[in-house]
Amino acid sequence: MTVTVGIDVGTGVVKAALFRVENGDATWLSRATLRIRQRDPMELARIVYDQLLADAKLSEREVDYVATTGEGEGVPFHTGHFYSMTTHARGAIYLDPASRAALDVGALHGRAISIDERGKVLSYKMTSQCASGSGQFLENIARYLGVAQDEIGSLSHKADRPEVVSSICAVLAETDVINMVSRGISASNILKGIHLSMAARLSKLLKSIGATGGVVMMTGGLALDEGLVTALKEDVAKMKDMKIEVRNHPDSIYAGAIGAALWGAYRFEKLAALGEVPKAA
Amino acid sequence: MEASLNGSKTATIVARAQALFDDLSFASAREWKAAAPGRKVVGYMPIYVPREIIHAAGMLPLGIVGGGDQLEVIHGDAYYQSYICRIPRSTIELGVSGRLDFVDGMLFPSICDVIRNLSGMWKMMFPNVYVRYFDVPQNYRDDIGGNYYVNELTELMHHLGELRGQPITDDELRHSIAGYNENRRLVRELYSFRAQRPWQAPAAEVYLALRAGLVLPVEQHTEMLRDYLAAAASEERPRRDNCRIVLTGVFCEQPPLNLIKSLELAGCYVVDDDLLLVTRWLTADVPTEGNPLHNLALAFLHQSESTAAKYEPNLKEKGQHLVRAVRRSGAEGVIFACPSFCDPALLERPMLQHVLKDADIPYIAFKYAENSGQMQPIREQAGTFADSIKLWSGT
Repeated sequence: MTVTVGIDVGTGVVKAALFRVENGDATWLSRATLRIRQRDPMELARIVYDQLLADAKLSEREVDYVATTGEGEGVPFHTGHFYSMTTHARGAIYLDPASRAALDVGALHGRAISIDERGKVLSYKMTSQCASGSGQFLENIARYLGVAQDEIGSLSHKADRPEVVSSICAVLAETDVINMVSRGISASNILKGIHLSMAARLSKLLKSIGATGGVVMMTGGLALDEGLVTALKEDVAKMKDMKIEVRNHPDSIYAGAIGAALWGAYRFEKLAALGEVPKAA
Repeated sequence: MEASLNGSKTATIVARAQALFDDLSFASAREWKAAAPGRKVVGYMPIYVPREIIHAAGMLPLGIVGGGDQLEVIHGDAYYQSYICRIPRSTIELGVSGRLDFVDGMLFPSICDVIRNLSGMWKMMFPNVYVRYFDVPQNYRDDIGGNYYVNELTELMHHLGELRGQPITDDELRHSIAGYNENRRLVRELYSFRAQRPWQAPAAEVYLALRAGLVLPVEQHTEMLRDYLAAAASEERPRRDNCRIVLTGVFCEQPPLNLIKSLELAGCYVVDDDLLLVTRWLTADVPTEGNPLHNLALAFLHQSESTAAKYEPNLKEKGQHLVRAVRRSGAEGVIFACPSFCDPALLERPMLQHVLKDADIPYIAFKYAENSGQMQPIREQAGTFADSIKLWSGT
C-alpha cells in the first residue's frame, strides 16, 4: 500500500489530493484547494497538506511520497516534482480513461496535451505569453462587469448576440470590453463573446497537437466554467475536420494534483523495487 | 541551495564562494597582489592553461571566464559582430572598464578562433600587459606533439621568469605541481562525492566552490574544497526523487548560476559536467620527480579530459568520454547546454548525440548566453526530460 500526496501550485490556486494506492487501485482519501490571493504559495502548500492529512486521519509519517507540480518545485517537503503536462495527462486519464487529450486551462496559460491510454504525453502546445486566453483575464473582466465568478457560466448561456473580443492581446480585449459596456452591450453577450474568443484559441491549440478525434478532457480551473465549455463545444462542432468530444469533470480542477499523486505512487513503487526509496516529505 | 543557507558550515563556505563569484572587481586578487611588493597576477581564459607555471613564478593565476549576467556590456559589443558569442564581449568590457587593470599578464588558450583573435586584440589594447596565445598540441605522439608542447611550456616558463625578473627553477615548478595535484585530487573527490550523493552537494554549490579556485591562491582553494567536502558530507539534506544527468557543452562561456539551479529545481541532479575544466583537466597526478615540463606535457597528452575543444584523432574514441562519464556517474541522461554561437560546442554536438543514441542514452539540448535571464523554457525542457526519464525509461 502506498500513500501519496499531489500538490499543484497554480498561479491562482493551490490544489492538493491524497491517495492510497493498493495493487493498482487508487482510492482518493482527501482533497483541498486554497486561493493564493497574494499569499506565499509555499506556506499555502503546507496548509493544504496539513488539511489533507487531517481529513484523511493520517500522520505525515504515513505518507510515502509528496509530489508537486505546477510552480511547486520550491515546496520544501516535496519528494519529487513532475511537470504540469505530465500530471494533467495522468489526471485526465484518471478522470476519464477514454481521454486522448487534455486541455488544461488555468489562470495563466492554456495547454493542449496529446496523450496515450497510459497517460504518456505524446505532444503538447501552450498558448503564448499573452493572458487574453486565461482565467486571470476572465476573472478581471468579471470584476469590471460586477459579476460574481460563479455567475459567469450561467450568464454566458443567456447570451443572444455575443460580441467577439480580441483573442490576441489582453489589453486590446479589455479595451474592447470597455467599448462594449459604453455601447450598452449586456454582460451576457460580453461574457459569451469572451468565451467564444477563448474557445477559438483553444480549439486551434488542440488542432496544432493533432487532436482531431477522441475525448478531450478539460482540466484546470476554467474546466468548471460551463460557459467556456459550451463555447468550446460549439467552436469544435463548426470545424469540419475536428471529431473530438469535449468533456469536463466536477474534479477537473484537481487534475494536476491527482496526476502528481498517482505518478508519485508509481515512482515510489518503482524505487522501492530498486531499494532506492527517497526520504518522503 | 536555499535549504543550506541556515548558518551551517556549508552555508558559510558557499556564501564566501558566492561573494567571490559576484565580485566583478576581483577584490580578493587585488588584495593578494597588494599584500606584498612585486606580486604579479596572470589572467587566463577557458579552458586550460598550466597554472603550475604561473604559480611557480610566485604569481597568482586568475581565471577570467567573462562577465556573467551581472555585467552590462556597453563597449564590448562594438568589437564583435552579432554572430559572435558573449564571452569575448564581456571580457573586453572587463578590460576597458578597468576591472582588470591590476592584471600583469593574460593567457588565451587554444579554444576557438574568437579567443585566439581576442589575444591579438588584447595585445593592441593593453600594450603594457604580457599577452600570450597559448597553443596546445593536436598530435599526441610524444616525439611530435610532446616535443612541441614542451617547447611551448619552456617558452611560457621563460617569459614568466622574465616578467618576475628571475628565472623559474625546476624545483619551484615541482613544488607547484604538487600543490595543484592535491587540489585536483580534492576536485575529483568532490565530483565523486556528488555523483554518489548529489542531494548533499547541489550543482550550484559545487560550481561556486570550483569557481572560487579561479580567483583564490591554490593553497586557499584546496583548503576551501576540503572544508566544503567535510561540511557537505556531515549535513543531512532531503533527498529528492530527481533523475541524474551529465551536463555538457558548458566548458567555455559560463551558464548563469540560475541556469544551473534551474536544472536541479526542474528535477535533474547534475552528477557530472564539463564546467571549469581547468580545475580538473589533468585526470591523474603529475609526477613530481624528473623533468617537470616533460611531466606536464605527458600529462596533457595522455591523462587529460576529452572535450569538444580538444582534438581527438581516433574516430572510434569520439564521444566515448561522454558515454564513460554517464556510466561512471550513474547518470540516466545527458543535457547539452551550449552557448549561442559557440563553434566548438555546437559543431561537436551532433556527433556526440550520435554516439549517445548508439549507446541508448537519452539527451536534450538547448542554448544559452552568459546573461540569459529567462529560465522558464529551460526549466520546462529539463523538467519534461526528467519526467520522461523517471516515468518512461525502460518501458
